[in-house]
Amino acid sequence: MSAPAPALAPPSGGSPRRKAGLGPRQKAERREAIALVIPALLPIIVFSMIPLLAGVYLGFTNATLARNAEIEFIGFDNFVQLAQDKQFWDSFGIGLVWAGSVAALTGMSAIALALLLNSKLRFKSLTRIIVLIPWAMPPVVTGILWRMIYDVNSGPLNAALGWFGIDKVNWLGDFSTALPAVIVVGIWSGLPQTTVLLLAGMQSIPGELHEAAALDGANGARRFWHVTLPGLAPVLIAITSIDFIWNFNDFGIVYVLTEGGPGGRTMIPPLFTYLEAFRNREIGYASAMGDVLVLAILLILSIYLVNQFRQNKEGRS
Amino acid sequence: MNSKKSIGALALLTAGAFALTACQQGSASGGGGDSEDGAVTLQFQSLSDQPATQEAIQAAVDSWNSDNPDVQVEIIQAGWDGAYDKLITQFTGGTAPDIIHFEAASIVAFAQDGYLADLSEGLSEETIADIPEGIWDSVTVNDEIIAYPSTMQSYVAFANADLLEEAGVEVPTGDSMSWDQLAEIAEATTTDDVYGLGWGLGSPAATVMTLAPGFGGDFFSGSGDDVQIEVGDAELEVPERIHEMAYEDESLDPVSLTQSGSDVLASFYGGTVAMTVQGSFQAANMANDAPEGFNWVALPPLEGSEGALQAANPQTYSVNIDSEHVEEATAFLDFFASGQTLAAIAQADALIPASESAREVVATETGGEDGWEQILATADGMVGAPFLQANGYAEWKETVLNPALQQYLGDQISSEELATQLTDGWG
Repeated sequence: MSAPAPALAPPSGGSPRRKAGLGPRQKAERREAIALVIPALLPIIVFSMIPLLAGVYLGFTNATLARNAEIEFIGFDNFVQLAQDKQFWDSFGIGLVWAGSVAALTGMSAIALALLLNSKLRFKSLTRIIVLIPWAMPPVVTGILWRMIYDVNSGPLNAALGWFGIDKVNWLGDFSTALPAVIVVGIWSGLPQTTVLLLAGMQSIPGELHEAAALDGANGARRFWHVTLPGLAPVLIAITSIDFIWNFNDFGIVYVLTEGGPGGRTMIPPLFTYLEAFRNREIGYASAMGDVLVLAILLILSIYLVNQFRQNKEGRS
Repeated sequence: MNSKKSIGALALLTAGAFALTACQQGSASGGGGDSEDGAVTLQFQSLSDQPATQEAIQAAVDSWNSDNPDVQVEIIQAGWDGAYDKLITQFTGGTAPDIIHFEAASIVAFAQDGYLADLSEGLSEETIADIPEGIWDSVTVNDEIIAYPSTMQSYVAFANADLLEEAGVEVPTGDSMSWDQLAEIAEATTTDDVYGLGWGLGSPAATVMTLAPGFGGDFFSGSGDDVQIEVGDAELEVPERIHEMAYEDESLDPVSLTQSGSDVLASFYGGTVAMTVQGSFQAANMANDAPEGFNWVALPPLEGSEGALQAANPQTYSVNIDSEHVEEATAFLDFFASGQTLAAIAQADALIPASESAREVVATETGGEDGWEQILATADGMVGAPFLQANGYAEWKETVLNPALQQYLGDQISSEELATQLTDGWG
């Protein structure tokens, strides 16, 4: 993903200097290219771009879900109102905590797990398959499963703690434990794909580097720090930012686990937007929230991309 | 050049065709249709989940279908879970059924958005006279009757008679039981392993709003868009008393305040709580599911300073205004509203029938067994709910009332802060 793309070969015979005056042959080639691209582009435009743009546009209207509602363009009114909406910004903050901690902790746990799977253990292929199981679970099933695990009275977690003489904890109902408990589930369900990608990244680090470092007398920890981690960095940064975006937009797990409760303590932005759209039926205002969330994610993403480009540039020069 | 243009035109044409089909889908009015032989088919979306209720509804529909070969009713079974989300999608997408089962507090929002037909012309005079005016008020929006109210839930305290006896408490009898009495019994039955009371208040809004009239808590005055909120001592009385039992008396299990009613029912069966306040419909579940030898009783209706009053929030049957057969659907509802049918539904669900005739049938058929005496007694205290007349209640309940009450019952904020949050969050 972050590997520098091979420089694209310029179109046959064409150099930037000669672009202004295309010959008849180039024109024909260009037409052919367009004809070939359009069939593939059409579904993307119809099913992805148009709905997306319609959704963005809704944020600038007063649309509701009422019958035969008249939709009027109201400019930036929704956004002005949103700027003062304390509940939304509270929810935004919770979303940052949720997505940030899930992404960071998933990254760390996945490195540990990938190291373990990359070492020469017995039953390696079996354990690698077992690790993938949470990936196969739909978010709703994950949510229901963990709600049972966290259950105050009949959950296995509290039963296990009970053997050590620890009192029952109301994991999902208590104001201080609800968000951490939900974050743990987020990590659990995000771990497999992160681990697999990191494992692939680790296997692409040449063994000679490790050998050379070992010959120079580096112990395991130093080899991890100076060989594995730098080699893994591009993959790690890419997957962590993707994890962040996925979780920031995640809806299923938190909705099933807590529905945003107790007292709004786990009300992440997608849940809040959903309530505004389908409970309050203010689809215009909710779309404005969606627009703000997209902008926020683009901003975070751009920091990563700019950083990535700069590195590539430095690498080349 | 030519081919380029034609490609562009083709692309535009296809995109346009797609867009048009999408529009078509959206504006198609849903629900039933006409079959080849000219008979009308009405779709009836029912949410009832008790098998006996489903049988009663099926029996009523079968009898209508055999009497009216031209208008056939087809039951679509759905569930209460996520019913609001399902309905809003159906209405917006134009695929809502002809006849819609729901509850007053939530259906009013759809009526305000213009999705429901006015039934006042189509229902017969007997049907209308059979239901008290206060209950009709709860389903009247802009002077239109937008639903037929069928059965009502009240909140009833249930007790584990054996645990009460162990604690030396006599099971209260009589017409009503005061909140003080409830607190006393809860304290008396609390031991090291047992909480006196378990109360599933994970979503506390409905319970608090329903019980508030017992202390004269109206919350709202006025109707429509011109509604004022007032959160004073009367309105705060119910949450404050629950809070006191949980954190001062320590006789109410605070964990139960974050759970659902059915979660707490499990603790009740397990003997870790001596009493539980539940929707009356749980009596039907207890009669079926309670463990062998489990000795449960329904306690008399809870009485506040103003009496044993509870806000009426009936289940409803409405007609989709975009149905092609509004008239036929309303005629079916009028048939459906018979005392016998509603009595059967009410008994199977352990809910109170809204109509007087059905209530009489239930009283004679059950003879007051299985908690029915107490459940029917709560019916006398059913009053119109001011919150049903307030535009925007559904939003406020979801985004303000529920989270604020959760915070208060979780001992995170004081009752003054609760009052401020509720007042500031309105409008």
